[in-house]
Amino acid sequence: MKSAFHPSDLVSVQARPSRLWTQSMSWLLFIAGIALYAQFSIARHKENPEDRVVPSVHQLAAGVKSSILEPAEEDDPLDPGAGLYQRLRHSMLWKDTASSGRRFFVALALLVPAILLGLHMAVFPYAGALFLRFVLFFDKIVALSLLPILFIIFGIEEWSKIMLMVIGVAPTLILDTCNNARAVHREQIVKAFTLKSGSFDIAYRVVLRQILPQIINSVRLNLKPLALFLFAGEMIAATDGLAYRIAIMRRHMGMDIILPYLLWVALLLFAVDAFLRFANRRLHPWYQPL
Amino acid sequence: MVSAALAARPQLDPIPALAPVPRRTEIALRNVSVLYPCGRGDSKTVLSGIDLEIAAGEFVVVLGETGCGKSTLLRLILGEDSPTAGSVQVDGKPVTRIDARCGYVPQKYSLFPDRTVMGNVMYGPENARSGILGRWRPSFWRYRRELRDEAGQYLGRMGLRPQDLTKYPHQLSGGMQQRVAIAQALLMRPPVLLMDEAFSALDPSTRSRLQEQIHSVWLESRPTILFVTHNTQEALLLGTRLILLGRHLDDRSQRSNILLDMENPLSRLPFARRAQSPELHRIQEQVKQIAFAASSMDGTEDPAEFANPESDSQ
Ligand SMILES: Nc1ncnc2c1ncn2[C@@H]1O[C@H](COP(=O)(O)OP(=O)(O)OP(=O)(O)O)[C@@H](O)[C@H]1O
Ligand SMILES: [Mg+2]
Repeated sequence: MKSAFHPSDLVSVQARPSRLWTQSMSWLLFIAGIALYAQFSIARHKENPEDRVVPSVHQLAAGVKSSILEPAEEDDPLDPGAGLYQRLRHSMLWKDTASSGRRFFVALALLVPAILLGLHMAVFPYAGALFLRFVLFFDKIVALSLLPILFIIFGIEEWSKIMLMVIGVAPTLILDTCNNARAVHREQIVKAFTLKSGSFDIAYRVVLRQILPQIINSVRLNLKPLALFLFAGEMIAATDGLAYRIAIMRRHMGMDIILPYLLWVALLLFAVDAFLRFANRRLHPWYQPL
Repeated sequence: MVSAALAARPQLDPIPALAPVPRRTEIALRNVSVLYPCGRGDSKTVLSGIDLEIAAGEFVVVLGETGCGKSTLLRLILGEDSPTAGSVQVDGKPVTRIDARCGYVPQKYSLFPDRTVMGNVMYGPENARSGILGRWRPSFWRYRRELRDEAGQYLGRMGLRPQDLTKYPHQLSGGMQQRVAIAQALLMRPPVLLMDEAFSALDPSTRSRLQEQIHSVWLESRPTILFVTHNTQEALLLGTRLILLGRHLDDRSQRSNILLDMENPLSRLPFARRAQSPELHRIQEQVKQIAFAASSMDGTEDPAEFANPESDSQ
């Protein structure tokens, strides 16, 4: 039996909002945010029509248009007859997204060995003995403070930025995987041995399979730190990339570019996260989060 | 008090004994003790002076109150733990690590949550047949097809319906999970089967159905079974031999934990008649008395002991 909405339901733990209510409420803050911004922007533009700090919808639209259709300032201009595909391919947004994305995914790929290291540390006692203390200590080093060293070792090109991301996130992933693998019930491992498993069967076909959903979740949680390190690297030393562009635009108050970029980055991260969440549900229908 | 109870042990042999058949010793524990460290450099004795020989094909039921070391005993035979002193042998060879000589049905977490019922049951035989690299061969696929049929039949006999075979463990009830776990262990045809309170989470009717099933499996292929339970009636219905463990007093004595080690007279009756046997209640009462006598010797019942914890450390 559904009862009608009553204001006191808003503070009731036992309230049972309908689907319509929950759906519409989840968009409320987005709408409020946009409305607030619009109001603020309109007010400022009344005082100064040239205001660049809180760009108007038109300015934003122009910014978005130029960033997805025009090449970056530092690049050669396109010839005016270029088609839409050519324009998109050589646009500033695409160029920045591609180079940031490449760094991001290369770093993500390099984190796979870190995950496997964590697994081995948990499953093989000698590996645990060798690595655990070191990783625990290494985890406490503030990764950004390693940047000068990384510049010396890897140069100021791509690899120093990628390594900053890897070094920044790897210890967390190693330790998290290790903890998850250790939490696999001992009965499972004993049982698997009585079913003629070898040590590597235990590691990869019993433990890894079981903790894969947790590993994917911990990668999801680490997307943000990964992006943070990427941005730190790009803002300090880069010639392209999403964070590079934001840093450049900040110098001449290009909020009409910065705001769309900021939302674009959030959207990209959200999409990667949603993809991983979806893949997790699809690949591991048996997973019962606690 | 224990010794008095033991001396008062009644003659439990009203039915004429079968002619003894010399049988191979499957499991042998010789003067085994297990101590666990418990802070301050101290250690706690869990098992001591355990001498046990179990012949091939016996159905041994281990009884005992909680914390007396039943699971520890199984862990020793499995090879998951090693004894502080003494030796453990399975099939004449010392146990040093966990291997496939023993099948194992734990009380909880007995199935791989990430595999379907079929996947769980096939896991062992597939491993036994071939390493991970040999699995692309057509001969392995053929084997797998045959195995799938056999596993299906096995699970069917255990009361699982065909539509259950593709389910994941969390979609099954506790009783069905336990049946799958038993099938998983049995399909390996292990010479020794260790079951740690495998039925304790089940309701009475499921439990008695599973008891019947495990008994018929035992009759058919005669594995050596070591079955841990809290339930004296279950022990008397299933076992050919009962072992009653008591809690170790931790008084540095070498006294054995084994309070009682006897053949189960009921095991000579057909399974269906055991539950109705008048003997059942009588033996059940006696086992309870012995266990109770031992636990009241334990001293934890006595409030004076709590007041002065040093008093038992002479
Ligand atoms: N790894 C360990 N470290 C320290 N003490 C332990 C350890 N494992 C078991 N013990 C102790 O050994 C004793 C026996 O444990 P065990 O699990 O064998 O009991 P049990 O007879 O199986 O009890 P239950 O019927 O409750 O399962 C317990 O008192 C427990 O505290
Ligand atoms: Mg136990």
